[in-house]
Amino acid sequence: MRKAEEISQIVQHPFPHAIVRDFLDTATLGLVIDALAGLEYEFDESDLFSYLSFGLTEIDHPVINILRDDLGDDFWRKKVAEKFSVKPISKIDMGAYVYGLGDFLLPHDDQVEGRIIAYSLHLTDIEITEKMGGALHIYEADKSGKSTLVKSIIPEYNSLIMFEVSNHSWHQVGEILADIQRLTVTGWYHV
Amino acid sequence: MSDINFYYLEKATLSNLKKIFNLSDFPFVRLSKFLDIESVDYNPKLEREEKIGYYNRKKGSAVLEEFWQSSEFIKFLGRITGLNPKFRSANHFNYSPGDYSLLHMDESEPNRLSVVYDFTRSWRLEWGGYDIYTSPDKEPLISNRDFGSLMIVKLEKGDLSCTRYVSLKSKESTLIDFITYDLD
Repeated sequence: MRKAEEISQIVQHPFPHAIVRDFLDTATLGLVIDALAGLEYEFDESDLFSYLSFGLTEIDHPVINILRDDLGDDFWRKKVAEKFSVKPISKIDMGAYVYGLGDFLLPHDDQVEGRIIAYSLHLTDIEITEKMGGALHIYEADKSGKSTLVKSIIPEYNSLIMFEVSNHSWHQVGEILADIQRLTVTGWYHV
Repeated sequence: MSDINFYYLEKATLSNLKKIFNLSDFPFVRLSKFLDIESVDYNPKLEREEKIGYYNRKKGSAVLEEFWQSSEFIKFLGRITGLNPKFRSANHFNYSPGDYSLLHMDESEPNRLSVVYDFTRSWRLEWGGYDIYTSPDKEPLISNRDFGSLMIVKLEKGDLSCTRYVSLKSKESTLIDFITYDLD
């Protein structure tokens, strides 16, 4: 079950984002990680990214169903919409992503029709350091497209990162530079 | 002025290259050791250019700009491709670790002949930095880094190309002259 019931603070710069620590309770966390370990991931790469992924939106699995509720039940969707001051959220989608050595996701803004809040629940059970790579880099860009790195959020176990999707929400996942597996459940809340 | 490897100027070679050029979804030829490299003065002046979500790299005038515009080279292109290329632009790009370009930067490009001359030394495949040519209905074409090679690719409207992200672990940079010729 979800342990967190509050979203403490929305940081507005360079675009609204928040981190919720200790999102799941210990028992659920263990079950979720076990369930994710049993999936058959597919390697996917393009000019923009390189990672392993598995779609979770449609699958019927007792533990994944609980996780889907924890991330997307009425209470939490209302909470997210209120805190970010966005329109009511109708649904979520979700997928599991594993970034290994050399994997990356280059800068993009996530804009696809209907997406309003992006989220990523970090599930790597080791302390990731900056040198290992895999941080979420948040950028501010001027009109010409020149960017400034504003913040690097290093993945913390059992933390949920959310941000509002807009034409300002430039972000990337830094290249993994160590022999680790950066595991997340990631997706979007939709209006 | 640079010199084309004499081998590529022989009549039989040119005839064969013209046949090879039209064999794949993306008409292309790749010519290794294309120039007498000793005659190249490599000293480009570069400035960083970034459009987030499109590219981040250093750019300057093509090292061999005069040569890419020369009638000698354009005539050579015509003989290999059977096309009538008209020079449009020539730039030098340096993709250092962390740099990239993405495919959609080409979205509004018309039919063109894309030419890439490679100044990259001591490259490893796992560092990325290779060139990708793709289209929804064509088999992707990958061109790995190879010092001294010349890649000639015919791209139609809707075809996309980019230089793949260069790993932060790379100890070198991708160095290319990137030349575009318009086609009728």
